Amino acid sequence: MSNAVEVMVLDDESMVCERLEEFLTGKGYAVEVFTDSQQAIDRLAAKHFDVVVTDLKMEGPDGLDVLRFIRGRSFATQVVIITGYGSMDTARQAEYIGAFGFVHKPFTLKALDDMTRKAARKARKLRDREAT
Amino acid sequence: MNAAIRALFRRGGGETVEEVREKLSTFRDLVEKNDKVLELMADAGEKLGGEYVFDSKYLQDLAASLKAQVTGVVGDLSVLTQNRYPELLEALAGIDASIQGALDCRLVVPDVPYVLPLKDVTFEHADAVGEKMGRLGEIRSRLGCRVPEGFVVTTRACRAFLDAAGLGDEVEALREHVASGQEGFEASARELRERVLQSPLPRSLRRVLRTEVDRLMEEGTPSLFAVRSSATGEDDELSFAGQYSTFLGVPAGGVEDAYRKVVASLFSPEVIRYQQRNGMSPGCGLMAVGCLRMVSARASGVVYTLDPAAAAPDVQVVSAAWGLGKIVVEGEAPVDRFEVRREPGYEVVTSRIADKRWRYRLAPNGGIERDAVRKAYRRMPAMPEARISELAEVACRIERHMKAAQDIEWALDDKRRLFILQARPLTIPPGLDSDHGGLADVVARYPVLLEGRGEVACRGIGTGRVHVVHDGDGIPDEVPTGSVLVTRAATPRLSGILSGVSAVITDLGTSTGHFAAVARDYRVPTVVATGIATQRLQEGMEVTVDAEENVVYEGRIDELVRYQLLRRFPFQDAMEFRLLKRILRKIAPLRLRDPLSPAFLASRCHSYHDIIRFAHEKAVAELTEIGWLKPSRSGRQVCRLELPIPLDLILLDLGGGFRPPSPGSAATLEDVTSRPLAALLETLTTTTAWETGPAAMDLDGFMSSATRSMSLSGPMAARPQQNLAIASEEYLHLSLRLGYHFNIVDTYLTGTPRDNYIYFRFAGGVTELIRRSRRTALLRRILERHGFIVETSGDLLIGRIKGLAPDAMVERLGMVGRLIGVTRQLDIFLRTDKLVDECVERFMSGAPLRPDNPAHGGPREAS
Repeated sequence: MSNAVEVMVLDDESMVCERLEEFLTGKGYAVEVFTDSQQAIDRLAAKHFDVVVTDLKMEGPDGLDVLRFIRGRSFATQVVIITGYGSMDTARQAEYIGAFGFVHKPFTLKALDDMTRKAARKARKLRDREAT
Repeated sequence: MNAAIRALFRRGGGETVEEVREKLSTFRDLVEKNDKVLELMADAGEKLGGEYVFDSKYLQDLAASLKAQVTGVVGDLSVLTQNRYPELLEALAGIDASIQGALDCRLVVPDVPYVLPLKDVTFEHADAVGEKMGRLGEIRSRLGCRVPEGFVVTTRACRAFLDAAGLGDEVEALREHVASGQEGFEASARELRERVLQSPLPRSLRRVLRTEVDRLMEEGTPSLFAVRSSATGEDDELSFAGQYSTFLGVPAGGVEDAYRKVVASLFSPEVIRYQQRNGMSPGCGLMAVGCLRMVSARASGVVYTLDPAAAAPDVQVVSAAWGLGKIVVEGEAPVDRFEVRREPGYEVVTSRIADKRWRYRLAPNGGIERDAVRKAYRRMPAMPEARISELAEVACRIERHMKAAQDIEWALDDKRRLFILQARPLTIPPGLDSDHGGLADVVARYPVLLEGRGEVACRGIGTGRVHVVHDGDGIPDEVPTGSVLVTRAATPRLSGILSGVSAVITDLGTSTGHFAAVARDYRVPTVVATGIATQRLQEGMEVTVDAEENVVYEGRIDELVRYQLLRRFPFQDAMEFRLLKRILRKIAPLRLRDPLSPAFLASRCHSYHDIIRFAHEKAVAELTEIGWLKPSRSGRQVCRLELPIPLDLILLDLGGGFRPPSPGSAATLEDVTSRPLAALLETLTTTTAWETGPAAMDLDGFMSSATRSMSLSGPMAARPQQNLAIASEEYLHLSLRLGYHFNIVDTYLTGTPRDNYIYFRFAGGVTELIRRSRRTALLRRILERHGFIVETSGDLLIGRIKGLAPDAMVERLGMVGRLIGVTRQLDIFLRTDKLVDECVERFMSGAPLRPDNPAHGGPREAS
């Protein structure tokens, strides 16, 4: 297992992906970004990520579908949901399915940093437990 | 007042209680929406800072919210004024369309003339004049730098040209072809370019071009022009350096042809490929073209405000050669190189003088030509050191304004006048921009003077020596360049000096106020409402203002400044970021700054900010017209207030304003439950000024009053007037007519500072204008010392303050009450300017204002 925390970023706006990739890489995470949710799901099937930061509303499988897919495979992977205006109901559903937390667009990089750090800590703890 | 005059004042109607209530309710709605717009604007400005992540949905929502609120403001004003300002709706529709056009990534072609003189252009006109000319105009008009005379042929002219040539469909087809990602667009691009070159200009465009060129020819020499490209879509970060055509030394007869060639360069395959590589919509832009008189350059060159090679972090690099700048820009031959310090003094650190054998100069019949430099001049510096320092100072000013390191072309003409020919962001080599490791350790070495106090109104970093502008000093014409302006009130009147300062720190104000918007407009790092800046920061102290983290350090931290200038987030290149900037240009700039100016017109509104400013002022003015209450059935909501002073005051309750007295009797002070009214009346009724009889009047004062008494100007003059207080528990609108003085106070006092404000308006007087103006000056200085933002015109004064905590509000309202009381008829007494000074000091110390009459104006001692 590598030491760097593995983070996936999924957002259909490439601008958001590029920003988050640059920022999270600068914070020492190993980051992969996707703008296509189906491709992200395919990747999740092949590789374990500690934290997935995903947008909620997307073409094709949406954030909830991604979250369900992850929950079907591992409880260690923590999912941080990016929400926009008018998606509070879906956000509540996501919480029920087991999202780690939410950041609301537009958000500050600091807010995302705090959330990712906490999510990563929990992910590593659970993963260690799953391994033993 | 005799019976005849009284009758005159009573004629003409008045309003019922219900009508007044309705008016007030609409006004409150307008103010709420106005505040919401200011908040949204501040919020959007913050998103440009780089700390936030946002998407296109945010931009759509922002635009929709702003549109809804501003439309609401305009609607409320229409209701209040019975649609007195139809031009405002037109202005609003124009701005809405521009914003929507930008959001849809449609090309926005502003409805402007075919040509605009460069002197009238700022960056806000970028859609009409392109980014390059917008920047040059900005440098001239906002920073006062000398740039060549000339005009810009606008994007509207370009559109007219392409349409007249029947090329609109071809342009669209090319755009679609490129956008589809298919190969092979080059052939159609080349064909389009050829057709542009062969098409005649529309007759009307040719005519204005000739007129403008003739005008420039009449006004000076040389009679040759630079015809420069200035495409839209050339953003700060994506300067198309060298991509489009530019022609130098064009004779008058060749301008039309050069214009056509520059427009044709829009369709060069190289440019389209460049746009594709940078993720821009290819072929989407239009071409504006600058036509500027050539500078007959004795010497020219380039300044890099930072050394891109980073050999020395604290210097600018100046290159200079004899003649025109081509030799420097194109690196054709060795040129002089100077390194100059970046701090005031701008000392030349190193100089390397080249052997300059060649130069370019204007050819007499047009074009430019190369000739040999005379031997005696070859090893002589092309620019003397003193002028290098001057140039470095100008370059720093441009850099500060543009918030990024700059690449500036300059020229010294044969009269040795310094011209700025062009400025664009300096291209930073990869790697250099992220080299800010250890910054935290560096700043930790500097003492912190202020931290986390107040609100950041404009992010950024500035350093310089403190220059304090005290209340009552008046606004200076200029302050030392690069200084850090420290002042108590955040008044928009300071905007005239903002272009030269490094940063601003105020004691009062809010980040959503008009001043904050102006500071963002000028891009000056600004922290407002620190409460203690004028006490903590002394004149001449060298400080660094970090308006990103909201910290003020003692000393100059060059590393921090450099960090800001080199910082370049990749997201700034992204479409959304550029779009936000473009939208904000239609939203935030405030041009209608002076409500007392004749140019304060609905038709002059060019941004949402202009619209809400205009609407707010006109709405308040409308309230000042509430002069007389008609009898009404709402008996218990209206009553007379009995006061211990000779003042007849009618109270109208909007809810919680006072406890209704028993039918037929007057209310007393104890019955007043409106917090702002109670605060104001407490001092108004205890000021000893009320005890004096009529003021003694000298002959001049008497004659003036005699001729003026029947010719009062202004909206209130011909209307019946009552002293009227319309109040709720938290709100007060007070209209007082004391003799010939009209006072309006409109205020909101809640537990939430950002909702609180006081608006104070004063007009009138019976003496000649000079004395009334003295009294206005007196009021202004006293109000400014209490943190009010004040505007005056003759004997009319408007003072405002907002964002205060409840205690401070009560204190300010008390001050206003005392001011209203003591300045009653004071103009008669103000015979000299010196007396104004004395009265200000007396008021501030709580002493009576009139030394000849100790009873006049002091607070009454508690008995």
